[in-house]
Amino acid sequence: MFEQIAFYFFSVLTIGLFLVAVFSKNVLYAMTSLASGMVVIAGFFFLVGADFLGVVQLIVYVGAVMALYAFGMMFFNVTKNLKEKTTSTGWVLIVGVTAALLMTLMFLGAINPDAIYASLPMSDKMTNPEAVGMALFTKYLVPFEVAAVMLLIAMIGGIVLAGKKMDTSLTDIKDEVLQLKDEE
Amino acid sequence: MAHIEEHKETHTVQKEKQNYVMLDLGKTPKFGMPAFIQVVKRSLSLELLKGLGVTFREMINALFKGKMHTTKYPFEKLPISPRYRAIHEMLRLLESGHYRCIGCGLCEKICISNCIAMETRYDENQRKEVSQYTINFGRCIFCGYCAEVCPELAIVHGGRYENASEQRAGFSLFEDMLTPIDKLKEQKEFAGFGSISPNADENIKKTPLAY
Amino acid sequence: MDALTIGTIIKILIILAIVSAIAGFGTYIERKVLAFMQRRLGPMHVGPFGLLQIAADGIKLFTKEDIIPQNANKFIFSLAPVITAATAFIAMAALPLFPTFTIPKSLPVIGGAIVPSTVADINIGILFILGTMAAGLYGPLLAGMAQSNKWGIIGSARTAVQFLSYEVVTGLSVLAPIMLVGSLSMIDFNDAQAGGITSWLIWQQPIAFVLFLIAGFAETNRTPFDLLEHEAEIVSGYLTEYSGLRWGMFFIGEYANMITISIIAAVVFCGGYNDLAFISGWFLFVLKVVFFFFLMLWARAAWPHVRPDQMMWLCWKVLMPLAVINILITGIVVML
Ligand code: SF4
Ligand code: SF4
Repeated sequence: MFEQIAFYFFSVLTIGLFLVAVFSKNVLYAMTSLASGMVVIAGFFFLVGADFLGVVQLIVYVGAVMALYAFGMMFFNVTKNLKEKTTSTGWVLIVGVTAALLMTLMFLGAINPDAIYASLPMSDKMTNPEAVGMALFTKYLVPFEVAAVMLLIAMIGGIVLAGKKMDTSLTDIKDEVLQLKDEE
Repeated sequence: MAHIEEHKETHTVQKEKQNYVMLDLGKTPKFGMPAFIQVVKRSLSLELLKGLGVTFREMINALFKGKMHTTKYPFEKLPISPRYRAIHEMLRLLESGHYRCIGCGLCEKICISNCIAMETRYDENQRKEVSQYTINFGRCIFCGYCAEVCPELAIVHGGRYENASEQRAGFSLFEDMLTPIDKLKEQKEFAGFGSISPNADENIKKTPLAY
Repeated sequence: MDALTIGTIIKILIILAIVSAIAGFGTYIERKVLAFMQRRLGPMHVGPFGLLQIAADGIKLFTKEDIIPQNANKFIFSLAPVITAATAFIAMAALPLFPTFTIPKSLPVIGGAIVPSTVADINIGILFILGTMAAGLYGPLLAGMAQSNKWGIIGSARTAVQFLSYEVVTGLSVLAPIMLVGSLSMIDFNDAQAGGITSWLIWQQPIAFVLFLIAGFAETNRTPFDLLEHEAEIVSGYLTEYSGLRWGMFFIGEYANMITISIIAAVVFCGGYNDLAFISGWFLFVLKVVFFFFLMLWARAAWPHVRPDQMMWLCWKVLMPLAVINILITGIVVML
């Protein structure tokens, strides 16, 4: 009973927050509701007893959205409303509806409850982090490693892209040289 | 380049007089191994802990060795120099207790901000008597001319420096500034311009500059 | 309701009341300690030894006019302090604060209730605490962005920078002790160090301890890393436009976070609340927490603060590699 109330409460809250994130014209509102939506999603994990995943959701998304804020801060005046330029409403509509349909189809399985089962059911013998570790390092070892390699590649790529001119410090370059560079 | 050389010269001149120690910080390496080694050296030499030690020592000094610096101002006051020029005092003659002012009017005349106002008349002995005397401390700039010009050492500067007021004009009457007759014994002679403060010895510090 | 539920509710009330009081008291202690270290007296005149200064400050904060700048985003502006204060207290839910005790039966209504030492002993305690404390940084971030003040914006930019730098170090530094203990629960950490001083994790993990302290200073934005509101550079950073009660909420949040970090350091690295010979463990525990709290004030009196770029350099180029190496070595030792 209590869990159901909590579930519906969190659902309404999440959907509402993400709707604000999409429709708000104010960057600050959009990002704040995105961040709080992410935090509320952690609530679902706590609800089904996956404490570890819940906290991971919290930590990871708090950090990720924080980076988004940094970009928002750099690109927009956050206290003013944005004027959006939509050139063709038609395309937006078509793409949006198709994406929504696809998502619905993907989760259609959920309509038949028998089709859903846990391939690695929870057991009372293990604590939460142990269960997660067990799943990751036995059944899903290959995807886990692939994801790790992918992240490594992304990291190296990021360093290479950002670090191209790292060996020259802008403060050490003489002003005249900098001016020459500007004129080029 | 020239100014650097000049600087070096003054530096050596100073060296002869005083033992300045130039801290040998070395060069700041920018890249690679030397920079890394420097970082490791600095982190392992525990200089941060020395900083903590200094503050802790000061705390012990303050708490247990009576080296607290605070003066609780309105309750405690530091002695001020006798040269300090604050609110004026009118002195009395020590023998008779009569006020010293002879009503010559020199102070009124010399006051550059025109803040002394006085009236005099002859008393029954045909001596001059001060009938009115006020100083407007809203105008007074505490220049000290009045005290310097007074032939009788009658008007001097006292030590009352807390003269905040609600109005711009604040008048002080003759009677207010006059030494109360019962405090005549405590009346101090003005030590004069150029006198040193009572705690001057304590305040002497080594000057950091080479004169 | 059973005894434990009532006890938990009482515990929550205790935390809310006592910790906010302690946070207020912390400001007094901070002013006193800083004053002594600079050979001053600190607050002296309100009450004996200035003790009632807290009350006076509280009254001042409560009755001050609540100003919201004209161009500020009013909703976010008023939301931000609540985030900081709330997350600081949520983090405390998983912290052991006082020994478990039973309220005597003679009292009406609440008699017989068992007040647990931890409100919620979840098996991922330390991650939960660090996660909520991290979320607390949204307070300064939103505050700075909502007030349409350039110092505020710089303050929140620095918040983002600081957060992204130290968060990695915090996580990695507690990972090594977690590997040794094999659990994330604060209670398990405490129980693993029950065997006297020699069993304290600080001896096995000195590097992790130092790293955690540094990251903890950054997390609570205490002095070597008080970039967000450094008066000498950016007026007051994200706090520039705040006054009165909202400002007070940020303050309480900051002090609650300081207490949280002190408690984590005491539980994870310094033996928790285990009895030592004949000395009561909880007494020792309070002493440890007080020591770490004092350390933060001490550092503030002694050290200058770092620049944002130095802070990033420190976190990414020095502390993070150290933490990773530490984890590698710990892992190898654990495996052998
Ligand atoms: S101190 Fe100067 S300005 Fe003041 S009353 Fe004397 S002469 Fe006038
Ligand atoms: S100069 Fe001295 S003696 Fe002359 S009127 Fe002024 S106070 Fe009196």
